[in-house]
Amino acid sequence: MSSLVGIIVWKELREIRRDPITMAVAVVLPLLMLYLFGSAVSLDVKDASLAVYDQDRSAASRALIERFPQSGYFKRTHDIRAEGEVAEQLDRGRARLVLIIPSGFAQKLARGETAEVQALADGSYSTTAMVILGYAEAIVQSYALERMRERLAAQGMTAPPAPVRVESRVWFNAPLESRNYIVPGLFGVILMAFPPLLTALAVVREKEAGSVQQIFVSPIQPYEFIAGKMIPYAAIAFFEMLMILAAGLWWFHIPFLGSFPLFLAATVIYVFCTVGLGLLISSITRSQLVAMMLSLLATLMPSFLFSGFLFPIYTMPTMIQMYTHLFPARHFIEISRGIVMKDVGLAVLWPQLLALLLYTVLVFVMTTRLFRKKVA
Amino acid sequence: MARYGRLSALMRKELIQFLRSRAMLALILYLYTAEIIMCTFAMSFDVRNLPTAFVDRARSAESRALVQDFGSSGYFKITHAATTDAEVAALLDRGEVLAAVVIPPEFSRQLAQGAPASVQLLLDGSNANAASVAQGYAQRIVQNFALQRLVAGPPAVELRPRVWYNSELDYRHFMVLSMMTLSGMMVGMITAAAGVVREKESGTMEQLLVTPVSPGEMIAAKILPPLLFCLLALFPSMLVASVFGVPLRGSLALFMLFSAVFLLSSMGIGVLVAVIADTLQQALLISFLVLFPVLFLSGTIVPLESMPLGLQYLAEASPLRHYMDAVLGLFLKGVGLDVLWPRLAAMLAIGAALLALSAWRFRRRLV
Repeated sequence: MSSLVGIIVWKELREIRRDPITMAVAVVLPLLMLYLFGSAVSLDVKDASLAVYDQDRSAASRALIERFPQSGYFKRTHDIRAEGEVAEQLDRGRARLVLIIPSGFAQKLARGETAEVQALADGSYSTTAMVILGYAEAIVQSYALERMRERLAAQGMTAPPAPVRVESRVWFNAPLESRNYIVPGLFGVILMAFPPLLTALAVVREKEAGSVQQIFVSPIQPYEFIAGKMIPYAAIAFFEMLMILAAGLWWFHIPFLGSFPLFLAATVIYVFCTVGLGLLISSITRSQLVAMMLSLLATLMPSFLFSGFLFPIYTMPTMIQMYTHLFPARHFIEISRGIVMKDVGLAVLWPQLLALLLYTVLVFVMTTRLFRKKVA
Repeated sequence: MARYGRLSALMRKELIQFLRSRAMLALILYLYTAEIIMCTFAMSFDVRNLPTAFVDRARSAESRALVQDFGSSGYFKITHAATTDAEVAALLDRGEVLAAVVIPPEFSRQLAQGAPASVQLLLDGSNANAASVAQGYAQRIVQNFALQRLVAGPPAVELRPRVWYNSELDYRHFMVLSMMTLSGMMVGMITAAAGVVREKESGTMEQLLVTPVSPGEMIAAKILPPLLFCLLALFPSMLVASVFGVPLRGSLALFMLFSAVFLLSSMGIGVLVAVIADTLQQALLISFLVLFPVLFLSGTIVPLESMPLGLQYLAEASPLRHYMDAVLGLFLKGVGLDVLWPRLAAMLAIGAALLALSAWRFRRRLV
């Protein structure tokens, strides 16, 4: 029996060797993803384009405006002179924020009234808009606080210190580096991106060519066929994982705090899970194109969207939160981040590990069932 | 005359082949509707309802008011009330809460005496983006709490923020459009790549090439059926968008024009991939490899403005980036061709460059 599995592994390896493009993509894509996600995912906005409409033209208004570019968050790109320009700046996307200081600003300040300032944000890129408005609010608030202290001082009061302070302490990722959480999350995404697809294509290719029938009439058992197809791709997946890990540790310098053996054990389960999913897809499709689209929809996209990799699960509606449990990537990413960033062990992570294990077993049971039915 | 007959015969063959692959049609429709709905619900960078533990050691009216402020802000959701540090540590370790606010016992006494009081905030930094945003929110909540107690009287300066095009800053308005463009990118590229490479793999490409059909005609016949189907599939996804509160404000004809040009350029990438690849598997994998940076550098998922400058320039070469901008303009801003023409020009240029490159590469392989 084992020799038959060996033969299929051997045949598959030869096919893989004959196709250097596939292997090149399998190596390059994870590194590309690592580079892009590791260096370019951030929600901070620097140098947002700012158009200013200063209707007051006073020393006070200029002082407030000056604070915007000084903060480092804004770049003053345009001075508006007429009402009509406001819409144009936003419509054409020339400015992300338009700051309008109405006339009478300095007067109101001097009289001790509340002086209003208008900020118009381009909401079409809503994340950016929200971040930018936060910055603008903080700048105006600090300016207001200073003016109020001056007022109090003028009334003969010494300005009291701000009476409540927030002492924040960040756990698990003190420097708040996004790469430190992106990289351990990426392990879960990359293993879902490629191994299932390669495995599915390897089987469906034989279906399309009709050679799978020949295999089924040979003495090879369905499970031997499955094992033979799976082993090479599981090995590739495991190799990819080690490669990303090495790149993460030595190229991106992410700290690895937890237990390495536990991490490897979880990885092995996850690798079999991803390859198993590929086999499951291959057992229900007949064309490579459909297999590819299905892998995209059933493995890559959920592992990207519904795993907490980039988008936190707690902000999703409850129904979608339940739905995320259907995908193993979520559990694996929790394990991976737990071990790498928090240094927690089995005592904390056992529910996720158990879920992963059950999932993997279920995938294999379903796959062998479906294959047997096709043959019978 | 003969030319038209040839082209239409070829087109009919491709149309029949395309319509026969029911699974493919179903998947395209799925991408354009259900997937958009799911993603719109799931993908949000907003920091809302952050699970938070509260440790109130002061147990006073002030500390309760501050708890209230946190809970009603919408940014934090008080899910646990803890008493000991060990409890807080366990909650953070297990990931049950991502933040903890600790009010020390002397809080109210210090407030009453006018001495500086402090509140402790513990954050799970494992999601660095969310943590730094949450830090800012917490600071603002506490500062507001402090200001209200500090000064009776109107504030000196007040910012009146107003958001154009998406007045509630609903992330879903952005996401639904973003997913619509992503679907077009994926479908356009993959169907074109698969269509061309399949002829190569089955050896019928040679047969087609010895017929009077020119490579250009062949590719046109390959591209048109999926292009038309994708344009049709845009209608249900426009319906989805309007359910999310994003109706098309600009002109429908313009939207179709932009979509057609965009789909052509994304299919151009697919054709180029097919010219390079020998087998369907290679074509699919290379598509994958190309698709990823194109998606990443489009501003659809990760904001472009926060990326390193070099990547921002590179993003100009992504047709998706221009289409995304045009779609936001058409749906949210309701602007017309006078504003959006540079986007159209850029997509046309990218598409033309891709086709020229494919044609060159294709001819080189033949001789």
